[in-house]
Amino acid sequence: MNVHLKPAQEIRMTRPDDGIKKGDPLLIVDNITLRFGGVKAISNISFDVRKGEIRAIIGPNGAGKTSMLNVINGFYHPQEGTITFRGEKRNKMRPHVAANQGIARTFQNIALFKGMSVLDNIMTGRITLQKRNMLWQALWRGPAENEELEHRRSVEHIIDFLEIEAIRKTPVGRLPYGLQKRVELGRALAAEPALLLLDEPMAGMNLEEKEDMSRFILDVNQQFGTTIALIEHDMGVVMDLSDRVVVLDYGRKIGDGTPDEVRNNQDVIDAYLGISHDE
Amino acid sequence: MSPAFLNFIEIFLNGLMAGVMYSLVALGFVLIFKASGIFNFAQGVMALFAALTLVGLQTGQVPFSHLINAIFGTEIHHWGGGMNSFLAILLTMVIMIVMAFLIEKLVLKHLVNQEPIILFMATIGLAYFLEGLGDLMWGSDVKTLDVGIPAGGSFWWEDITREWAASGSEYYGMYIDTLDVTATIVAIILVVALSLFSQYTATGRALRAVADDHQAAMSVGISLRTIWVIVWSIAGFVALVAGIMWGSKSGVQFSLSLIALKALPVLILGGFTSIPGAIVGGLIIGVAEKLAEAYIGVPYLGGAVENWFAYVLALAFLLFRPQGLFGDKIIERI
Amino acid sequence: MLYREAGDFKTTYQADQQTFPIKSERILFWAFIAFAFLVVPFLINDYWSKAVLMPLLIYSMAALGLNILVGYCGQVSLGTGGFMAVGAFASYKFMTAFPGLDMFSVVVLSGLTTAAVGILFGLPSLRIKGFYLAVATLAAQFFLVWMFNKFAWFYNYSASGQITAPERTIFGIAVTGPSSAPWATYLFALTILFVFAWVARNLTRGRLGRSWMAIRDMDIAAEIIGVSPLQAKLSAFAVSSFYIGVAGAMFFANYLGAAEVGEAFGIDKSFLVLFMVIIGGLGSILGSFLGAAFLVLLPVLLKNLMVGYLGWPTDLAAHVQIMLVGGLIVFFLIAEPHGLAQLWRVTKEKLRIWPFPY
Repeated sequence: MNVHLKPAQEIRMTRPDDGIKKGDPLLIVDNITLRFGGVKAISNISFDVRKGEIRAIIGPNGAGKTSMLNVINGFYHPQEGTITFRGEKRNKMRPHVAANQGIARTFQNIALFKGMSVLDNIMTGRITLQKRNMLWQALWRGPAENEELEHRRSVEHIIDFLEIEAIRKTPVGRLPYGLQKRVELGRALAAEPALLLLDEPMAGMNLEEKEDMSRFILDVNQQFGTTIALIEHDMGVVMDLSDRVVVLDYGRKIGDGTPDEVRNNQDVIDAYLGISHDE
Repeated sequence: MSPAFLNFIEIFLNGLMAGVMYSLVALGFVLIFKASGIFNFAQGVMALFAALTLVGLQTGQVPFSHLINAIFGTEIHHWGGGMNSFLAILLTMVIMIVMAFLIEKLVLKHLVNQEPIILFMATIGLAYFLEGLGDLMWGSDVKTLDVGIPAGGSFWWEDITREWAASGSEYYGMYIDTLDVTATIVAIILVVALSLFSQYTATGRALRAVADDHQAAMSVGISLRTIWVIVWSIAGFVALVAGIMWGSKSGVQFSLSLIALKALPVLILGGFTSIPGAIVGGLIIGVAEKLAEAYIGVPYLGGAVENWFAYVLALAFLLFRPQGLFGDKIIERI
Repeated sequence: MLYREAGDFKTTYQADQQTFPIKSERILFWAFIAFAFLVVPFLINDYWSKAVLMPLLIYSMAALGLNILVGYCGQVSLGTGGFMAVGAFASYKFMTAFPGLDMFSVVVLSGLTTAAVGILFGLPSLRIKGFYLAVATLAAQFFLVWMFNKFAWFYNYSASGQITAPERTIFGIAVTGPSSAPWATYLFALTILFVFAWVARNLTRGRLGRSWMAIRDMDIAAEIIGVSPLQAKLSAFAVSSFYIGVAGAMFFANYLGAAEVGEAFGIDKSFLVLFMVIIGGLGSILGSFLGAAFLVLLPVLLKNLMVGYLGWPTDLAAHVQIMLVGGLIVFFLIAEPHGLAQLWRVTKEKLRIWPFPY
């Protein structure tokens, strides 16, 4: 049975241009406020993420960073504010819309599918790109199988990139923490994202693992052209990797600019040293 | 008052009392779920088993007589004596405690870290096991249970309500079974006692600690295993009470174990972790069921709506409030 | 030594993905299939058909369906009995309304009807999860049984409330009704099971299967990466109900011949199939078969042992059987929560390196 596979250089890793040039805002978050009952998790935060850059979101614990990512994903719906992604403005995202438009994500506490192998987890990441309906899949031979094998090819490309070939058939529950994080990155990459959201990708890693992960993140940005927004606590990583930084504290934005600008910002220094801001 | 209104009151009151009976079973569920996060499907069968044991002890049956006769070709059924109700109840309670102990040792201990669905299925298996064991020990014929609870319609109430009826109407008086009234009183006492126990005693506090977080409870020195034995014993006691009430009312038979299924809608309405919720849920289900049967089932749908109404009601409820009336709102974090 | 894999390298993704990657396994499988199709029909008699083979085939079908819903998609369902009833009654209505229809079409149409009903009763799963969903499916179970009892249209106004399967044929050979031969009903059921087991394998290995498993493992993360919970859950209910409906139709038409809804499709059926899925292995096609085999053969064995050999009365044997099944469930859940399928996988692992211990 001849299966026609695309040659390697045709394997895409990110969404094609949609009129947005490199350097223009891909994601604009405008005046977002998020409340849980009486608690304001995010208050009037606005910033943008430019196409092709690495944007770091930092801040002390409880500042609202993960909540911000959840709003971008459509998991939380903000009470005020708008989100503009790829030119389209809306006052809240829905998860499957976000996914289909090319926002992919990793999670603070790993959210892999524990019952599946590494390969299946990453293949699941391709789900927004798979089109063959149920009847073709029931038959398997023919279009469904061809589609499956094509996607397998792309996924193997990612597996090679992340250097996890040896463990591709292992159930993810058995892997050590660092490898699980890498698999989760693979699953996010499989969606060919326009915007990749990483929630503390270095958490719990030793120096060597951090260096590997940093290398992967840089490669994703430079080789594939994927725009990245990441939450991170390790200042060294943030300063070295990112093009621009936004700083949150108690749900408010207290800094926004290049790493050097933010490093010298008095408010940011105060926040990290624990001096309170009553506003 | 018109007979129609009085009829409504009668159905309503009977519904309340039916609901109380459901609550008795639901209480056992709540206790175990609160302390161990396990949904004990075997609660209904435990009630059946307790009732069977009680009757067996009362009437002086030889346990496993059927089996012994089959193996040895003998014909023994009773050992000629019996015992009074009080002693029989006490002995049954001891047996339920032993059973709680065995369940913890043989089943629960080994399933500590499994997912909830596995635990739930384990209790289904346990339910089947206990059912077979109960039948094997005491036989599966229907038995009458009598521990001296007053039963039958209350004449006093019938007379009073007959006088309330509008003059000239032929109203025979409201039927309220005194057994149901006893059950209601017992249930109220149980709920109050259990709530007080849970809130104010050290063991009760330990139970609530275990319900919240197993590891944290262990780290302050609470023995998980002891707590589980205690909880399952109390649940066994509640099962015994439920078994006595149900058994006195409709005889001790297999259908008693199906009450466990009816307790599920009760728990959905009342919440899985609330002791007062079990009562409230039970009352609502009892009343709703009886009213539905009388006013929708019999006139329009040919009756027997009771078979499914409680579940459909619970389902409708869940669609609007997935965590039940008293349950804690589930906030999902990622 | 037995499972020789040395030198057997896969060079294409297709080869890597096949159902039986090890050659000896593949040969064994096809030999077994050949035996089932070509040899058994000549050896079968009425007893074996009624006591062992037909229940085995039919319950395997039902277990496959339930496994898709519970094992692959993680949606607990206690409504299997009710859905089997839908399949049975649908087949009855199709057979009586369209007498010229061949049995295969009847069965497929019954399955599709049940799938539609399954989607309807599956809608609550979009809001409700876990145990709560189990209660919702109980509503389906009790309501359906009541409905088929109450509304005489379903049993064509017969006085007994029973439905009886008229004789229907496929390729001119009777597969329902009193004059159907054991080998005919057997082959009919076997063919249907074979075809749909293959379909089940295909569905679970591709995108749909992965979306089901993603919902099962972590539904929030699944939604965020683009799995539509609506499509995944409802398709699981639809496919699962299709299989269970087909099983119900075959149970009534090819096996029982006549059925009364309360006895044949009550809540104990729901538990029985659920036990098959648990003991066999959640999330495993092979597991569905193993579980069905276990819970069909065990009672037959026990009955022959206790009643036939030891001479015990049947009700005593029934009590012991219930006890044993319950005890085995608990035992399996403690010893091997992933069921017989996992035991088989572990055995294969050991066979691959035998006679070395590791």
